[in-house]
Formats: sequence, C-alpha cells, structure tokens
Amino acid sequence: MKIEITNLRFTYPTGLEALQGISLTINAGEQVAIVGQNGAGKTTLVRHFNGLLQPACGSVLIGDWDTKKTSVAKLASRVGYVFQNPDEQLFSRDVLTEITFGPRNLGYSKEKIDGLVKRALALTELSDKTEINPYDLSPTWRKMVALASIIAMDTPIVIFDEPTTGQDALNVARIANVIAELRQEGKTVVTITHDIDFCAENFERVIALSNGQVLLDGPAREVLGREEILAQTYVDPPQLTRLGKRLGLKETVRNQEEFLKAIW
Amino acid sequence: MHERLSFHMKRNSVIHRLNPLTKLVLILALILISFTSPWYWTPHFVLLLAIIPLSALGGVFPEFFKTATRLILPAASFLFLMQAFFQPIGEDVIFKFYFLDITQESLMFAFRNAMRVFVMVSAFTLFLLTTHPSELMSDLTRRGLPPQFAYVIISTLQILPQMQAKAQTIIAAQRSRGLDTESTFFKRAGSVVPLVGPLVFGSLVEVEERAIAIEARGFTSKHSKTSLHEIPDPSFDKVIRWVLLALVILSIAANLWLA
Repeated sequence: MKIEITNLRFTYPTGLEALQGISLTINAGEQVAIVGQNGAGKTTLVRHFNGLLQPACGSVLIGDWDTKKTSVAKLASRVGYVFQNPDEQLFSRDVLTEITFGPRNLGYSKEKIDGLVKRALALTELSDKTEINPYDLSPTWRKMVALASIIAMDTPIVIFDEPTTGQDALNVARIANVIAELRQEGKTVVTITHDIDFCAENFERVIALSNGQVLLDGPAREVLGREEILAQTYVDPPQLTRLGKRLGLKETVRNQEEFLKAIW
Repeated sequence: MHERLSFHMKRNSVIHRLNPLTKLVLILALILISFTSPWYWTPHFVLLLAIIPLSALGGVFPEFFKTATRLILPAASFLFLMQAFFQPIGEDVIFKFYFLDITQESLMFAFRNAMRVFVMVSAFTLFLLTTHPSELMSDLTRRGLPPQFAYVIISTLQILPQMQAKAQTIIAAQRSRGLDTESTFFKRAGSVVPLVGPLVFGSLVEVEERAIAIEARGFTSKHSKTSLHEIPDPSFDKVIRWVLLALVILSIAANLWLA
C-alpha cells in the first residue's frame, strides 16, 4: 500500500516546528529506513502515518484514506506500528493473548486470527513461549513479542521505531529476518534506526531527515555515499563504506560482500 | 532536565532573588498578621499594599492576576455568600431572602473571613510563582530538613508530568493496535486494562531505578553534603525575617491585649 505525504508540517504545542514541509511517496512493498539525529523529526513523521499525530498543514494518504478523516483505530488495519519500548505496549498475562489482542481488535474471523498468530509466532521464534508472561521474558524476547503482536495484525504497512536499540547480535539477526520475510510478502516496511549497519544491510531506500526536512532520499547506496551531507544530521556511513571511500573505490560499498567484490 | 509540575515563572526580579526561606517567612507572616490582627481592615490592606505590589515587583502580576480572578475569587466569593447567609449574628437585618437573614454584622464578618482566605491563597500563589520547588527544598535541606522529606515533595512534583507523558505513549501504542478509545462508553471502559497495566508496572520499575540511582550518589550517607547550586542567604534576608517575625508577634500581642 502506498503512502503519500504532501507538504507535511507539524508544530508541537511547545512551539517546536518538528516537521517543516515534507513531501514523500513510499510505494507499496518498499523497504525504507529513516535516519537522522535525535530531534530530526523521525518519530513525529511516522506517527502521522497511523493518525497518532494530525498534520498542521499538508496531508498524509494511506492508500486512499486521508489520515485526517480516518480514526486511529481504523488506520490500525492498514498501518502496524511497533513502538520503541515494548514495556509501553505489553499488558497481557501471556504471550498468546498479547499477540491475539491486535488482530481481534481488527475484527478478523477466528480462523484467520489463529492463522495470523501462528505465523507471527513462527516468524519471531516465539512458538515455544506462548504460555509465558511477557514480563518474565528477557528484554530482547519482549521486543520480539512486541514485534509479533504487530505482525499478527497483517497490515500492508509496518512501522518499526528503532527496532535494534539495546538488542544483541542474535536478536538483530532475528529482526532482520522478520523484515526480509515481510518484504517477501510484499509489505511496505518503514524503519526508524540509528543503527547504520542494520540500515545498510537491510534497506534498499534510505531517507535522511534533518531539522524537520528531508536532507537526502534515495537508494541506500547513493545516500550512504554522501558522507559530508549525512554529517549534517550526525549520521556516519558504515565503517566499510567509509573505508571503501578512503581506499578510493569507485563504487560505494555497503557490506562485506560488496567490499570484497570491489577490492578483488 | 525534565519538566516539573510547578507554577514557577522564571524571571529575574528582586523577589526571585530573595532566599526561599525569606519568601516562606514573608508569606506566612502576611497570613498570620491577616488572621490575628485586631484591626478589621488588616487583610484588605495586606492584599492591596503587600501582596499585589509584591507580585508586580516579582514580575509575575499577569499570572498572579489570572490565578486570583479565575481560581481564588470564585472560591472566596462562595465562602462570602455562605457566611453572610448562615452566620446567625447581629440584629440589624438589612436583607431578607425567605428564611435567610443578612445582618450588617454577618456581612462584615463574612467579608473579613473571605478576605483572609483570599490573602492566604494568594500569598501562597505568589510564593509558588516566584520560587522554584527544588530551590526551596535544597535550601530547607541545608537548614536541617530531612532529605527524605524533600525527596518525597520533589519526586512527587517530578513524577506526575513523567507519568502523564508515559500514559500518553501507552495510549498511543494501544490505539496503534486498534484499541478503540474514542467511540462508545462501554468500548472505552473495556480499554482501560491495556492502559493501566503498563503504566503501573512501568512506574513501579521506575521507582526502583530511581531509588538505586540516588543511593548510588550517597543519598542516605550521614556525612554533610555539598551542593553544586549555592543558594545565597545575605544578611539583608536575615534582617527581613527578624522584622517579619517581630511584626507577627506584635500582631498576636495586640490581639491578646485587646481581646
């Protein structure tokens, strides 16, 4: 499903102009990473996608729905949003009930809910933990429960707010796996991240925000190659990309594979 | 720094620069004098000649005026009406309303009492507008107030806005999962559980973390502590405090003398 943002502006009650005229189109099935310094407006931007924030000016279209005219509860059937802190999201006695909560709110049939929950559990490797209280799980597994609870809603668009913060390498790999699976299913994925390696390895398109404006937008290879411009929003390209630059490689490399291919 | 629940207005005025204890003594003295002075018009003069000029001097008159007219005036007016109608004193009936009599005495009595309450609340308003709560607490702790007491006050002021922000995020997270918080009452009532659970649990975790954090900085240590933020207490302040104390004693003495 397509996201169309036209001249979006937003000002917080404190007077902070968080978004200063953003226009973007994110096509169905695209995998987009949003990067930028703290306070650049990343979270403010994605909170407009499911109507948690309303534009002061401009518009956000999710498919054919205008977020200004659609309730958050209704938009939840099109946009799933995984919050940064799972503790602000989880409340049920056990993992299974937690994951069933979202799809049940959307009013799916029982058979459909069972299927979606089973798939979400398998994707997040939680199938053997359905009986456990989420608060008895480690923070990394709680994060997976939060992910599963949104994936089970089967929305065409999924937003992740800093999914890899505070996660170990194994869990980062699990999250990357989930995102790859969502791509296979043709879902649109928008991820806010400060983890630039994670961004380089998993996303085709990168949008860099700075002070409420789009600084760079394009294929990951292009955006990550613009070291000087990214520095404006305090983003360092991945180490290998920078090393490749210093070595004078013609192409911008994003990962080990590309790096090895370029120097061989 | 986190936002705090406080009325404090950041200004650079003579009143703001006074030591917090001086300000506390000042407003307590004004209140005590209003309540004990035998002279009928004292509270009225305290308001007109002390509290209002002081709020102007402190550069907070607009905020003070807003609070006084919107909050204190209605409450004081209500008190005035109640006392004027239900105070069974005096013979000189000037107004009759069914079985309720208003006498000149009850009117005078009610007017003074309403004014005393007005003085009390507005004095505290002035104090809160010009004094930062943590400044007051660190000054009082330095003078021997148990730090635990100061902690309870300050953390309460701090936790409320934080909990509010947390509640907002939790509501946003659950609405994103299709929780209906906007439609019918029954649907909304059912949506309380997903909101309260994470809020209470998260707040308990935070209390523990806070306790560990302040203990790591030697909260219960018996040694005397230094402060990064020195609160000046010039001799001028001390003089003011003694003068105010003397005035209060005079007022009470006059009251007893004439009684």
